[in-house]
Amino acid sequence: MITDAGVPAGSELSGVEWRQTIARVHRQVDAGADHRWLDLDVPAPFSIPVPGQFLQLLLAPPAAVLLARPMSVATVAPHAHGCTVGFLYAPVGVGTRLLAELSPGDPVEVLGPLGRGYPLEREGVPVLIAGGRGVAPLLFAAQALAHPGDGRAPRRCEFLFGARDAAHLVGLDLARREIEAVGGRLHLSTDDGSAGTRGTVLDLLERVAPELPGAPVIHACGPHGMLKAVARWALARRVPAYLAMESVMACGTGVCRGCPLPRSAAQRAAFDPARTPSLWGNREYAMCCTEGPVFEAADLDWERIE
Amino acid sequence: MSRRAHGTAKAATNGRATNVREPAAAGVDLRVRIGPLRLANPILVASGTFGYGDEYAHVLDVSALGGVITKTVTLEPCAGNPAARIAETPAGMLNSIGLENVGLAKFRSEKLPKLRSLGATIIASVGGETPDELARLLEGLGGERGVGGFEINFSCPNVAKGGARYWAEPRRLERTMARLRPLTRAGLIAKLSPDVTSIADLAAACEQGGADALTAVNTFVGMAVDLDHGTSRLGRATGGLSGPAIKPLALARCHEAVRAVAIPVIGSGGIMNGRDALEFLAIGAAAVQVGTASFIRPGAAADVLAELRAFLEQRGIARLDEWRGSLADLGVPEAQGPRGRRR
Repeated sequence: MITDAGVPAGSELSGVEWRQTIARVHRQVDAGADHRWLDLDVPAPFSIPVPGQFLQLLLAPPAAVLLARPMSVATVAPHAHGCTVGFLYAPVGVGTRLLAELSPGDPVEVLGPLGRGYPLEREGVPVLIAGGRGVAPLLFAAQALAHPGDGRAPRRCEFLFGARDAAHLVGLDLARREIEAVGGRLHLSTDDGSAGTRGTVLDLLERVAPELPGAPVIHACGPHGMLKAVARWALARRVPAYLAMESVMACGTGVCRGCPLPRSAAQRAAFDPARTPSLWGNREYAMCCTEGPVFEAADLDWERIE
Repeated sequence: MSRRAHGTAKAATNGRATNVREPAAAGVDLRVRIGPLRLANPILVASGTFGYGDEYAHVLDVSALGGVITKTVTLEPCAGNPAARIAETPAGMLNSIGLENVGLAKFRSEKLPKLRSLGATIIASVGGETPDELARLLEGLGGERGVGGFEINFSCPNVAKGGARYWAEPRRLERTMARLRPLTRAGLIAKLSPDVTSIADLAAACEQGGADALTAVNTFVGMAVDLDHGTSRLGRATGGLSGPAIKPLALARCHEAVRAVAIPVIGSGGIMNGRDALEFLAIGAAAVQVGTASFIRPGAAADVLAELRAFLEQRGIARLDEWRGSLADLGVPEAQGPRGRRR
């Protein structure tokens, strides 16, 4: 619920101001299975993104696309002059294909960091569940759990990673490095059985859940079909689950109202517009960009999500 | 639209809305009068593309803009349409938001005070399914301090009732404007749809009914389908098209409206930079609205203003009035003459 998950997004409430600035391509490499890994150097001042947040990437004009592309952050390395932000993506549309052509030094206008991330501080055994290229924010989450900073102890997690086949387990090496560094475990599934268990991440979840050393807290990202299944599994067992959703967006900042997700009946009933000034008091819909992209399973109406 | 240009806009426009009677200290005189409204410059932000003015306030100085036109407010809060609400198309975007808004009560108690505190010149967009609803909105807001004007949204393409089609009736528009006119001393602006047989007729009807100005135009009704999934790319069959794709269309409608009435016409449609704004002003628009550009660059309106100012300065033009309408006579045979020439 909004009241449980913390303060709603919106610059005036979170205290974190997004901004728009010109970043430069630091590195862009093939990540396998038609995926790309892109590192952007983002100059200060720019708030350091947290896992689950996204940036709007805008190609320098004249570009063949009009709108910026929302892209989930896969890693962040702060440095003296700002930060290097990594993205894992598949060039599947016009905009992302143009992005894939960029070389080191090329400008990309970035706006962010946007949205609300995973509540990684929540107590419990973190179970990270990734489907396909939805792995991006969970790589970042695993990194944040392994290197929490501020003198806090690293946290061990379970990482469940599924894809259609072995080749599509993109980012696997990075995931393995972060997980194994803190004694966590990596569990794989593929639809065709070419790596790990044949089946889905739900099969992995069923298998892993009983063996956990404590109560789980799920952080997931992937296709909406997978997230629906994870949400239903978690809701049936009263396991807290946080799911990073996708939507077409225009502005990414809550202004255009273009990315609605239907609230659950429970949340509609408990909705108090007075407590959510940045959310336009909309009892029916939450905006993916500002209230999300990470939502608690209980807050959305999964029957109405495609 | 460089960062530097943005900075220049802030530096050069000290003038708050309250100071616009005094000429700018230096540079081009950009002041605009729209009925009782006095704007520091002709750059407005379009309704629905700038929230309630506070969302982008940390990016640009909203008090330096000509004005902020707030998201259309209706009597009751409105949740808007189901997904998908946005579909990008070549050089444009379709939206089907469905007038999502906080409703009159919250607008008055929360949004207006915040926007007032930012020093913005406020134009409140209002929408209703009937003349009666619009009248009640104006009764509720007509006396609000700091609201310089109202833009009556006669042209939303994305609602089942009270949208562009309902209002595309000259007599209905005229009667409605006449009914609203006595309810406020603030400026009354009628925002028109481009999807009409004759925008000139609708413009004239609004003028006849007592409008201080018109906005030409709202989005164009458009459609996009997903062949792979056999569906609309929006939750509804159609949406409103905006962005650079519509600029030539909007310019033509705006020009037609300018020719039809004596009251000021505010141009809107695909304005992405200073030159786009200058085109609308040249064909006779009194002011312009920056819309979709703000979604892409929240500071776009400030950049448009800086570019406009730089262009006029470079040309040695001291007053915007010298530029405005310089191309308004395009395509008009001398003998025929305009119906309502402005100045």
